[in-house]
Amino acid sequence: MILLESHNYIIQTTLAEKCIKPSSLDVQFVDFDGVRFHLSTPERKTSLLLSMNIRCWDELVKYGVDDVLKREYGALVKASPEPDYNISLEIDLEQVPPEGEEREAYLKSIALLKRNALAAPFEVAFKAQKQLESAGSGQGELMALHYRDEEVIYVQASPDRVTVIFSTTFREETDRIFGKVFLQEFVDARRLPTIQSAPQVLYTTREPPLEIRHVPGLVDSEDVGYVTFVLFPRHFANPAVAAATISHIQLFRDYLHYHIKCSKAYMHSRMRHRVSEFQKVLNRAKTEVAVIDRKTASGRTMTSR
Amino acid sequence: MSVLAPIICDNGTGFSKVGFAGNSDPSFVFPTAIATRGPVQQPSRSGPAVPPRPGNLASKRGVEDLDFFIGDEALANAQTPGYGVYYPIRHGQIENWDYMERYWEQTIFKYLRAEPEDHYFLLTEPPLNPPENREQTAEIFFESFNIKGLYIAVQAVLALAASWSSNRVTDRTLTGTVIDSGDGVTHVIPCAEGYVIGSAIKHIPIAGRDISQFVLNLMRERGDMTTVPPEDQLKVAGKVKENYSYVCQDIVKEFRKYDQEPYKYFERYEGEHTVTGRKYSVDVGYERFLAPEIFFNPEIYSSDFLTPLPEVVDGVIQQTPIDVRRGLYKNIVLSGGSTMFQHFGQRLKRDLKQIVDRRLDASVTASGSHMRSSGVDVEVISHKRQRYAVWFGGSLLASLPEFYSFCHTKAQYDEVGPSICRRYQIFGSAT
Amino acid sequence: MSNTLRPYLAAVRSTLTAALTLEDFASQVVERHNKPEVEVRESKEVLLNSLTISRNENERVLVEPSINSIRLSIKIKQADEIERILCHKFTRFMMQRAESFLVLRRKPVQGYDISFLITNNHTDTMLKHKIVDFIIQFMEEVDKEISEMKLSLNARARVVAESYLGAFNS
Repeated sequence: MILLESHNYIIQTTLAEKCIKPSSLDVQFVDFDGVRFHLSTPERKTSLLLSMNIRCWDELVKYGVDDVLKREYGALVKASPEPDYNISLEIDLEQVPPEGEEREAYLKSIALLKRNALAAPFEVAFKAQKQLESAGSGQGELMALHYRDEEVIYVQASPDRVTVIFSTTFREETDRIFGKVFLQEFVDARRLPTIQSAPQVLYTTREPPLEIRHVPGLVDSEDVGYVTFVLFPRHFANPAVAAATISHIQLFRDYLHYHIKCSKAYMHSRMRHRVSEFQKVLNRAKTEVAVIDRKTASGRTMTSR
Repeated sequence: MSVLAPIICDNGTGFSKVGFAGNSDPSFVFPTAIATRGPVQQPSRSGPAVPPRPGNLASKRGVEDLDFFIGDEALANAQTPGYGVYYPIRHGQIENWDYMERYWEQTIFKYLRAEPEDHYFLLTEPPLNPPENREQTAEIFFESFNIKGLYIAVQAVLALAASWSSNRVTDRTLTGTVIDSGDGVTHVIPCAEGYVIGSAIKHIPIAGRDISQFVLNLMRERGDMTTVPPEDQLKVAGKVKENYSYVCQDIVKEFRKYDQEPYKYFERYEGEHTVTGRKYSVDVGYERFLAPEIFFNPEIYSSDFLTPLPEVVDGVIQQTPIDVRRGLYKNIVLSGGSTMFQHFGQRLKRDLKQIVDRRLDASVTASGSHMRSSGVDVEVISHKRQRYAVWFGGSLLASLPEFYSFCHTKAQYDEVGPSICRRYQIFGSAT
Repeated sequence: MSNTLRPYLAAVRSTLTAALTLEDFASQVVERHNKPEVEVRESKEVLLNSLTISRNENERVLVEPSINSIRLSIKIKQADEIERILCHKFTRFMMQRAESFLVLRRKPVQGYDISFLITNNHTDTMLKHKIVDFIIQFMEEVDKEISEMKLSLNARARVVAESYLGAFNS
């Protein structure tokens, strides 16, 4: 598994299971970036309530998340969300399409709830770029998403591109160094002919990029880095491409961290291997201690118990 | 900042149960299996092949270790050429750390979709797990995954905690005897105040797999299995065991009942061939009550192991220190899928009570009727969460507010090192 | 580069072979104690002069002999941040498993990355030249392993970046 998927596995499997055999349910689970879900059957077994809590909801509302979710889920969206959560979907199991591809697509669209919510600012930016392009000049609004405690996504549209900036912090020394190596490769990888058309990536530590330098409250420390993705109009030329780009770029941080962790796991397995090799070398030094069969006077073998 | 729910990971020999604290059921239950590419090697040989020449950067070399599947997907890919399926846990203990580390990696990122840095983890271990294994586990979780905090609990203790959900339990004690019967082996584990009495643990080589096999033998002997395709037979036996079996109080009476009114008690199992879709059905008869009977009369199945379960339990309790025995008799807790038979608890209680009473009577006689015992309470607790009792117990404890103070945090780990995980504070004990 | 490695290792080998002349020696300070003198440092007369073999400023070996034990500490080459962290991880991983390595010290001597403590007990039960072989092989391979790990980390990072950016094409 190299790439992460953007839908939530638990939602998908649980709903599929409940479609076949409805039963009462009350579970809480999470997704990346501190998103919390609550799936329950408050009234009857066939009516599921899926609620989501997302850290940067207030900001998302500003960028039109309500419209996006209305468009995706239509009547499923409940007018007033469950307390302590930001949005609730009501899924009536009796209204689910019949078994087959149609149902799978339906369930998958529900499992993409978090992705769709986070897509809002990107969609706004893509639209703004189109307008700015025809106007010929100007700058779109700088949209900030505080999606984690210490990390922020900034999205800004310009006449010829959309800039997405991730601020990153690493909590641990090893992660920081590994992360640096990875990010450097992201910057360099674009030189390869096969991925020339990918967005341009820039990476700076400490120094914030020009676009966000005026933003107040930026942390000035060695641990903070900024990753800039420059999306060109070809990355959102048509709705399908735009959707793929959004799903993909959202998961950037998780993808990076997933691979940092995988590399550490890989290092561990290498080290285990190497240690067992060293062990063998050292064992060669041990002299064979001959096991002498000690006998008692009557001829019985002495055994230690 | 709101704290995200701790993750409970119960990795057993056969199945792993993972999910979030506070829920009543694990989010995922899948086989502890990993399918990896590469030549089938001896499981004892540890360490992956080190790439011979790490120079070929342009190709996709160097990430071979990401090419693997876990759980059900691993079994589904078992037939794919080039993949081999491995079980990293043997007899409850982790044998291959490389596979296990990658297994966890995918559990967290693909299935749970959690950022390990934001979560506390509760892991389980079998009784008598060497402390070195704890250290290795801690090393993986803190160093590879940077988790926030870790608690490693003994499975038996969690099973005891799970029994608190039964309304027959009034005082929440961590003293009791746990009978944990899964697929491979059955353990009888005495716990006193949250500590396992290691010297008294006993294992019984009869568990779920054997019951299925026994049902299969019975049905084959009767000639019922002829209609079932051979590759489905074990599965059918398993279904019969799960859906129709129960524990009777008296075999002889039960046989008589069945013979008098076979139509009332015989059941029919309807099945469908997995490949061809052909329908078949089989009669389910005496195996309904004979299947779980192998716990109480093992001689009907095995010729090697002949001690009935109640006697084993009694033996275990008699080996423990004298001052905890009453507590152990009073709180016998069932855990695992193979203890789910109807009336299993009642039968165990009755048989055990008989053994205990007989011993009390004998001692009364031996003392010449001068001493009289006040009697010993025997209580067997069955509850609704028995199947995933260990996981549920973990979920229960991890949702307590004190849980976080019992965990070792990343900062503590960095300060002290893996040896910090050799010792964990027991729930409910004084600080 | 490797032309300085051979004389370096040869120097370590001969020093170590010469230093590994150990005998059983009970403590002169505490009755019925028999401790590695190089660690206890109670009686000066049984400690020998310590000796440093340097290949360059980043790589050196410190040999501290005494009558019944010898301590050997290695400073491993660390060219940059990545090598530093990998070296730290690797040595810590080994020291975590010091139990099975008999001659490995659980903590390095200050200023070094990893230390070995060989006592007369070890030379009695193990072949002396094989112990020396082990140390030399360790020194050879640890550098190789760290640079291989670094390369594989870079290779991984590249693959990871390519796959991520490549996905934008579709």
